[in-house]
Amino acid sequence: MSDLSLLVQMGFGALLALSVYLPLRCGQLSLATPGFYVIGGYVAALLSTSWSALSGDGAGYPLTSLALELVVAALVAAAVALVLGRPVLQLRGIYLAIATIALVEILRVLNLNLAWSGGAVGIFGIPQPFAGPGGYALATWVLLALVCWLCARLEDMRLGRAMAAIRDDELAARCMGIPSADVKLTAFVISAVIAALTGVLAAHFLNTWNARQGGFDASITTLAFVVFGGSRIWLGPVLGGLVITALPELLRPVGDLRLILFGLVILLGPILFPQGLITPERLARLQQTL
Amino acid sequence: MVHLLQILINGLASGAVYALFALGYTLVFSVLGVINFAQGAMFTIGGYLTYLLIGGAVGANGLLAGWQLPVSLPFWLALALAGAGSALVGLGVEAMAFRPLRQRNAEPLLYLISSLGAGVVLVNLVQLLMGAESYSIPTSTLAALPSALALGGAQIRTVQVLLLLVATLLVALLTLWLEGSRGGKALQAVAEDPVTARLLGIDSGAMIRLAFALSGFLAGVAGGLVGLSVSIAGPYFGIGYGLKGLGVLVLGGLGSVPGAVLGGLIVGLAEALVPSELSGYKDGVAFAILFLVLLLRPQGLLGKPVASKV
Repeated sequence: MSDLSLLVQMGFGALLALSVYLPLRCGQLSLATPGFYVIGGYVAALLSTSWSALSGDGAGYPLTSLALELVVAALVAAAVALVLGRPVLQLRGIYLAIATIALVEILRVLNLNLAWSGGAVGIFGIPQPFAGPGGYALATWVLLALVCWLCARLEDMRLGRAMAAIRDDELAARCMGIPSADVKLTAFVISAVIAALTGVLAAHFLNTWNARQGGFDASITTLAFVVFGGSRIWLGPVLGGLVITALPELLRPVGDLRLILFGLVILLGPILFPQGLITPERLARLQQTL
Repeated sequence: MVHLLQILINGLASGAVYALFALGYTLVFSVLGVINFAQGAMFTIGGYLTYLLIGGAVGANGLLAGWQLPVSLPFWLALALAGAGSALVGLGVEAMAFRPLRQRNAEPLLYLISSLGAGVVLVNLVQLLMGAESYSIPTSTLAALPSALALGGAQIRTVQVLLLLVATLLVALLTLWLEGSRGGKALQAVAEDPVTARLLGIDSGAMIRLAFALSGFLAGVAGGLVGLSVSIAGPYFGIGYGLKGLGVLVLGGLGSVPGAVLGGLIVGLAEALVPSELSGYKDGVAFAILFLVLLLRPQGLLGKPVASKV
């Protein structure tokens, strides 16, 4: 894998980590992120391969079409999240986590069997809007920068503060007049949109999309990004996503042992850094010393 | 046409395996309030150990290529020893991934990640040693038994009947032990309230280790049994079962032993009733049931409702 491709993958990791982080910021452990990632990927794959008007004059896939796919994927993901969010977000703690795992699994089985998703084979030959990994790296990191900006803004906004209040004590937050159900739903919808946008880029980048993308493993790996990096400030999941995605590649020199070492890192991370690598306190100390 | 009785026995047999698996989760959940995501890896290890102990040879990949134990044990002894081996692995997982966090009163989310890390390490260790190929435990290890039984006009694989019997036996023994012995009562006391249990002189650390050993044993035996009735489809085969076992666990109600059994049987039967032309959807059945039950009854079928504190 070239360095630029790795950079793209790392960007995807950070984006998915932020998608898991947003519900977690209001105390909701939702593992639905890979499901919305898969939905975004299928939207991109289906639109770009079947809609001939989109595929341009043969001189490369037009960027305007890519932009259109991003909009459609965001709308689809938001609609699905709105419909599912209400009933699902009434569940708490581990029950919410498992209900969202169930959703991702149901989606996977449907995609594996239904005709329009290409079944087990999937969809091939997704057109390329960029000539090489460089273009993808740029697109991914622009999206990442936008999402980071949104998350950073959120910490100072009424919505972000409401989310933090619900995380600390939902009952107290509701007594203060915070509409907790609406706030949780908003976080869930934003999270879904981020995952779906990432899926659109990933489908083009990988050139193919199938039901093996984003299963249970992906749910847990993305959660590991957040826990490893730290779930109290947006910088944490970004760092976690970048580092853990790069890890198996960085460990390639150790050959067969790399996945064992990868497992050890995930095992020891929570024990050595229970708050994650980045906490607001560490960040403040760092700012003081600089 | 496939006989209804045949469907029923197949469903009950796979349901019994899910139940064994879910019981392992339940034991750990009831004493610690967290889910051990390395359970699927212990299932894998149980399957591979059974295969090795009956004298199976390692395939061409992996570090141990071509290696084989000098002995070849009868299946039942191999299964019991594999269960014991998985129990030891369970103790190791507790010591590595759980105890350090417990000593710091860490939040439940962290256990989820660290146990998952332990699972990744174990599964890849198996892959490193034995390769990624699938193994099968030949039913000829059951020696004298016929391969199928004729029962009321239906042909039923002996393996399925054995699976059902063993699982029933283990569930019965576990229930008897939990309800009737001092050790079982002590475990329940820790599950109810660790602080009070400690005041009453119960070593809660020992009880937690016991829960891990038992859940490792159950997972290991389930792995060996599935290896016999289906096959050991590579080191990751425990993960899929682990995920479904998790669904079964929540369906029945977290921390409830009868719930785990009921959930296992419901999922097993529902999967067996999926008509063959829709067999592709079989893996989704457990999660579809789980999802609906969670929406209607968030505590699961037999779980206690969670009181929200004010």
